Amino acid sequence: MQERTVAAGAGFAGDRTEQAVALAASGKVHAIGLECLAERTIVPGLRAREIDPEAGYDPRLERRLKPLLHVAFSNSCRVVSNLGAANPLAAGAKIARLARDLGCSGLKSAAVIGDDVMALADNIDWEVDFEGNLLGAHAYLGVDTIAPAVEGGADVIVTGRVADSALFSAEPLPILVNHDDALAGATAIGHLLECTGQVTGGNFEMPDGGSLSAKDFANLGFPLARVFADGTAELGLLDGAPGRIDRLTCALQLLYEVHDPSAYITPDGILDLTGITFDEVGVNRVRVSGARFRGKPKTLKVSGFVQQPGFVADIEIGYAGTHALNRGQIAADTLRMRLDDIPQDHIRIDLVGVDSTLGLASLPPANRMPEVRLHVSARCPDAELAQIIEDEVYSLTLSGPAGGGSVRSERRPSLAVVDGLIDRNLVKTEIVWETA
Amino acid sequence: MMRVGEIAVGRSGDKGEKLDLTLVALNAENYAWLEKRLTASVAQAAIARVMPGEVTRYEVPGLFALKFVIEGALPGGVYATLHAGLHWQKAAIWVLLDLEID
Repeated sequence: MQERTVAAGAGFAGDRTEQAVALAASGKVHAIGLECLAERTIVPGLRAREIDPEAGYDPRLERRLKPLLHVAFSNSCRVVSNLGAANPLAAGAKIARLARDLGCSGLKSAAVIGDDVMALADNIDWEVDFEGNLLGAHAYLGVDTIAPAVEGGADVIVTGRVADSALFSAEPLPILVNHDDALAGATAIGHLLECTGQVTGGNFEMPDGGSLSAKDFANLGFPLARVFADGTAELGLLDGAPGRIDRLTCALQLLYEVHDPSAYITPDGILDLTGITFDEVGVNRVRVSGARFRGKPKTLKVSGFVQQPGFVADIEIGYAGTHALNRGQIAADTLRMRLDDIPQDHIRIDLVGVDSTLGLASLPPANRMPEVRLHVSARCPDAELAQIIEDEVYSLTLSGPAGGGSVRSERRPSLAVVDGLIDRNLVKTEIVWETA
Repeated sequence: MMRVGEIAVGRSGDKGEKLDLTLVALNAENYAWLEKRLTASVAQAAIARVMPGEVTRYEVPGLFALKFVIEGALPGGVYATLHAGLHWQKAAIWVLLDLEID
């Protein structure tokens, strides 16, 4: 049976860069996928593109591809990435220039264009009504939009918004037989790969608290998968790469963020993941099979970004030593009195180290906390209110419990993500080629 | 009384305003125990202490897994949060892992 080996070299825009190089250098990998575009990552790209039409791709593109391009090109390992962010066209041209500088003469880059559906905004069916300024709208494209670049022999394929799984399923697509369930399988494998270390022992803890060691985390191997023509696969690590791949790490990643496991909606198909089985066939080697196809959605998901006026102000002040917890609690109550005119649902005051993450579901604190940090976040319609709250926290150093210090604060723009749907027939895509 | 995290591993995720929690039991017996006791309403009562939202439970017996999806748990999405820093929801699974059930 024909097979293709696909690997994951990045699971977010800032992911470690050296694993992709190691995977490409192994000579065992036909394509490496670099998932670099979280929901919000596209927003700075939109802003950059407004100022400079040649910008808008991920600013880390060069840092990520410089060590990788030559190794991948000389090992016939295709690179597939959504590093194009808000400007895949400019990214494709940049990659060709970079390849020329690195001596990869003849390298073919292909940019997939068409995910930006801002011009079709009137045709988007938004899930919720929103107020504010729509910054951008991008459709999640399917693997069918990348396929022509694979068939055309692209060495690097760069996209904007596509389904993360499509970055990995594009390579085995041409060899799949019994197409629908096989495509469901390849898509599920893409989903298993797209968060790199999350399937190889990262973000994972056993009930006894056991996890990988710091040394293993520091060098964590990223996954690769031999994908077979029937859409089944064998997941593994490079020889000697530290990590853990077993039934548990695979099940957690398979079900990660899919909502209904019997109907996981991707542009390439609605997947039933409930029949998937993981067979441990060796150390850190797992056979994956059993994905089922339940039809192709007529719409594509659209992610929109809405800029609302104002900021979220996020401020902390620390207390340490004997009675630190008590002083932190008094400081929090003092601040609640000082800021009692802010609507309850626009402000949150809590203690980092005690209840800032899980609120009322937090475990009870120790009696003698060596230090705590008072945290306040508030939704501020303007910079003036943000400044007032920051000043109120700082005032605690003079007019509050003893020893308040180590103040830090930040202001985040008030940005909401809104989801919508668009008729997939309205979304036209094309491939733009460049040769180094 | 048993702590859920003694017999299962878990992970938090999100999409838009939805929180998406996954538990995977260590074996079939543990799964049967959880499937019977950790109902949507038991999970709802625990989660309501931290965030708003209706809980829907999905079962995947073949993987010994339960999923809990909470609509509207992250108002405005993860970037609009009033928690300290971003992505507090990555730790939200401990609401379920630390739950003690009879």
